[in-house]
Amino acid sequence: MKDIMTIVFRLTVSCLLAGLVMGTAFIFTSKAKKHNEHVNEQKVMFSLLGYTADQAKPASLALHEVYRYVVTDQQGLSVGYLVPMAGEDKAAYTFVAIGLDGAYLGSYPVALAQEEVSELGPRDQAIAAALGPEKTIRYADETIVVTNNGKRQAYLLPGEFPGFKTFIKVIMAVDQSFTVIGLEIMEHEEDPGLGGEIVQNYFKNQFKGKSFTALKKLGVAKVPLPDDYLKALDADKYGLTAADVAAVQELYQDKDIYALTGATISSRSVTNGVKGIVKKFAYRVSILDKVLAEQQIAVPF
Amino acid sequence: MATDKSNLQLVVNGILNENPIFRLVLSMCPAVGISTTVMNGFMLGVAVLFVQVFSSCTIAVFKNKIHPRIRIPTYTLTIATWVTVIDLVLAAYLPEAYAKMGIFIKLIVAFAIITMRLEMFACKESVNASFWDGIGMGLGFMVGMMAIGFIRELLGLGTILGYDILGFKPLLFFVLPFAGFFCVGLMMAFFNWIEIVYKRSKQRA
Repeated sequence: MKDIMTIVFRLTVSCLLAGLVMGTAFIFTSKAKKHNEHVNEQKVMFSLLGYTADQAKPASLALHEVYRYVVTDQQGLSVGYLVPMAGEDKAAYTFVAIGLDGAYLGSYPVALAQEEVSELGPRDQAIAAALGPEKTIRYADETIVVTNNGKRQAYLLPGEFPGFKTFIKVIMAVDQSFTVIGLEIMEHEEDPGLGGEIVQNYFKNQFKGKSFTALKKLGVAKVPLPDDYLKALDADKYGLTAADVAAVQELYQDKDIYALTGATISSRSVTNGVKGIVKKFAYRVSILDKVLAEQQIAVPF
Repeated sequence: MATDKSNLQLVVNGILNENPIFRLVLSMCPAVGISTTVMNGFMLGVAVLFVQVFSSCTIAVFKNKIHPRIRIPTYTLTIATWVTVIDLVLAAYLPEAYAKMGIFIKLIVAFAIITMRLEMFACKESVNASFWDGIGMGLGFMVGMMAIGFIRELLGLGTILGYDILGFKPLLFFVLPFAGFFCVGLMMAFFNWIEIVYKRSKQRA
């Protein structure tokens, strides 16, 4: 009996000590990790827009985050967008509530500092405080509107969709007419060597340049990737010039996505996921734009 | 029962006489599975080195407090803790390296060599001796992994550290998993041969 007690006691103490060490390490590193992820995300976003390390972004370029929320109250469900306000005062945000039928329901000024807006906790609290207690909100997704000199240039759409095993997280860039500018896979757990190939240039770059009409009926073709297309998709590796790439890309503009060998499900998931993100976004942004124009809410994009 | 070896002898012991891969034949899974390139071997070696040193020191410090019946759970807990800490630290401060070696690090929890070293050495010896033994074992593992990686990368891909050396791929089968067994077997034979030669030269002298 005494032995049992000592064993239990010592194992408990060692577990507590181990927990303490791991917890301390987590607290010390979590901030740096978050910062890294943020930096990486920013880098990916600018590289999607075509601004890489050797080509600096112009100062006139600005990113405006729009956060979409689902609002529940006695009347049922509605949608809300947290949009930044135009003007010198950078810390002003407005929560625009829109019904499911696209009708304007009201707008609420939200008191939020610029540093706090990207953090889920403080943002949710500030919006909940602005809306009052009878409404409950749930964060849905985020869109980044890219403007150059105050004119809209592109949209960055972070999103996730189910893959073969778990969710695949991506960031997409589309231009004003919803033509895909670029796709980057941020997180995935597909099988290495099979579905994991979705991160390779020769797969993800196939989405580049697909117009909205082509995207709507985009499918997955189970045929081998043509050689010239492969070289154009991985232009850096094969040393092709931008003009060559554009010519080949023109050729395959309306073609389906070529499936990865042995990973048809992953290829289909990405294709359908990308399609879904762009289609839903195109619908939502048209409603949001209409409401913003009707109500004359001054946004910087 | 303290060891009578000096610190340097402990380190050399880990690399040559008791090399984890070629002499103790432990941790064969990573030796066969991940050692396809020199860089992979080096990265995993560094991670194992840290985990081994930290775990050995921890166990050596607390060796009198560990109940003999629950040694193994305590070792596993210690190793898992340090692996988690290293995983977190690398992810936070060296994101580029972590992107390459992140998947290997979590595997270290199950490496036989670390548990075995805690059981055979650290739970009996002083902190100082355990530290140097940990360094030796970690370096021995790293050297072994890099040696296997060197052969497999050169013969399989024709490159070393990613640089094209041969310009062609001599034997693609060397990068496939089962070629790891061939490499380990050949290296083991080599180490045994060195030992025999060494002993003979001693006998003659």
